[in-house]
Amino acid sequence: MPHIVNFKIMPTLESTEVEVNNDLVPCLPDFTSEEYKDAYSRINAIVIEGEKEAHDNYLSIGNLIPDKADELKKLAIMELKHMKGFTACGKNLGVKADMPFAEEFFSRLHGNFQKAFEEEKLTTCFLIQAILIEAFAISAYHVYIRVADPFAKKITENVVKDEYLHLNYGQEWLKANLSTCKEELMKANKENLPIIKSMLDQVADDAESLDMDKEELMEEFMIAYQDSLLEIGLDSREIARMALAALV
Amino acid sequence: MFGLIGHSTSFKDARQKAMDLGYDHIAEGDLDVWCSAPPQLVEHVEIVSAIGKRIEGAYIDSCFVPEMLTRFKTARRKVLNAMELAQKKGISITALGGFTSIIFENFNLLQHRQVRNTTLNWERFTTGNTHTAWVICRQLEMNAPRLGIDLKKAKVAVVGATGDIGSAVCRWLSQRTGVHELLLVARQQQPLKDLQQDLQGGRVLSLEEALPEADAVVWVASLPKNLEIDKSNLRKPCLMIDGGYPKNLDMKFAGSGIHVLKGGIVEFFTDIGWNMMAIAEMEIPQRQMFACFAEAMLLEFENCHTNFSWGRNNITLEKMDFIGEASLKHGFSVLGLQPDLQAVYA
Repeated sequence: MPHIVNFKIMPTLESTEVEVNNDLVPCLPDFTSEEYKDAYSRINAIVIEGEKEAHDNYLSIGNLIPDKADELKKLAIMELKHMKGFTACGKNLGVKADMPFAEEFFSRLHGNFQKAFEEEKLTTCFLIQAILIEAFAISAYHVYIRVADPFAKKITENVVKDEYLHLNYGQEWLKANLSTCKEELMKANKENLPIIKSMLDQVADDAESLDMDKEELMEEFMIAYQDSLLEIGLDSREIARMALAALV
Repeated sequence: MFGLIGHSTSFKDARQKAMDLGYDHIAEGDLDVWCSAPPQLVEHVEIVSAIGKRIEGAYIDSCFVPEMLTRFKTARRKVLNAMELAQKKGISITALGGFTSIIFENFNLLQHRQVRNTTLNWERFTTGNTHTAWVICRQLEMNAPRLGIDLKKAKVAVVGATGDIGSAVCRWLSQRTGVHELLLVARQQQPLKDLQQDLQGGRVLSLEEALPEADAVVWVASLPKNLEIDKSNLRKPCLMIDGGYPKNLDMKFAGSGIHVLKGGIVEFFTDIGWNMMAIAEMEIPQRQMFACFAEAMLLEFENCHTNFSWGRNNITLEKMDFIGEASLKHGFSVLGLQPDLQAVYA
């Protein structure tokens, strides 16, 4: 049997391509341009609203598990602190956050959380707030940190550290209850992951104005989400099935 | 634990592989979905060497496909994210396979040490180039005589001579093999002159000038897209070692006295219970692999947890000796020409 096999024609790296290296050197956007500030009014509002939702949601979850209420209240207070930090970021750039836009942006997820809360579906509440929203926030903050103004960069870096704690809190609860909550987790994922995807699509153009690639945002989200589900104890094929929900 | 970071050879193959592995969500996606797909640790493997040393490893698919090469930011992210995953999984030494190390070097990823909340520890990674260089040299030394080429009297062209692997191959061939003359080919002239001075020998030529003179050619640069070579001008026999990536030389040259050997490929002495080398299109995927991958295994076998091959032009003959001895000791052999050639040239 011959040892040499034919390799298909594959693209190669030409010297001309390598010279484009300079494109990869980070170049920050013009934070004072009208286009930037216009996009920032919506992105900043989304972030502020997201932190407010998180604050309210953790307090709600605390109502469902009274013995954890104190811990959850601490998380809620941190979210309020983040909200104030991001409000300062907008002010620093002279931007007024478009809060009505942000409330509408979160309305479907907000509605699903409220419904789950009323039905006392803790798993769904944790998935929406502590996994989906936190992973969405962490991924967006990671991408934002790379292109943010120095003031916002510092604030966001500190926020990310806190958000990992929150992601971890939800993970730990779901991990401890996985044997009884898997079915609900799958169902909640199927209902809510597509919403995250459409939120990402909706914000893509504004994010682009802030030099945040949609492709990179999506990838960062999928990494954070996948890591989180692995941590909860799902295997990679289960995660693959869950992630499929983002595409349909 | 050792790690291998690899990728599929085309988008089409990648989708098929993802489907086979049950990653439907990625398999069904278009290229944009793949650009957003996280790296996947797809396989764990246990390997026992020829002297009975047992190690564990993992294969990480970066979800990069060569079609992404023109998307610089995407390619960069794929490599960094795969490296982050390897480090997060606690893998001690990981080889950067296929385009991974090429992207790492050409896109200056050394400046991107921070990936989210992970600071990449370069000590945990190796390009595998030392083993690749050693394997290519041994392939030349073992197979040239089979074609009737006496290396002591031969002219050997090294295409891509100034690169990390190329310069190591030149040093070995001039100091250890004692080839008659080295023909040095590369794109940039100044590094070629420096190499010539370093070697205290060798002749700097263009590719067009070098090929008709060469009894053997070691390719460690990717083949220029528009290269037109009149095969009738080449020496016969001529041994070509295809050490570049991707390996596509045989489509251009093989036949009528020109023998193309896939360079930098090794074969393990026994089957390895993994599926992943099939995506690298090895002829015997249970045993054959890129030498750079094998380097990570060898470093794990030897408990040598360090970035053994790193940066450019750091490959010494002593390092090649070390990795070569380990390679033989643990049961690897270098890929050779098909056996029936001997009859033709006996």
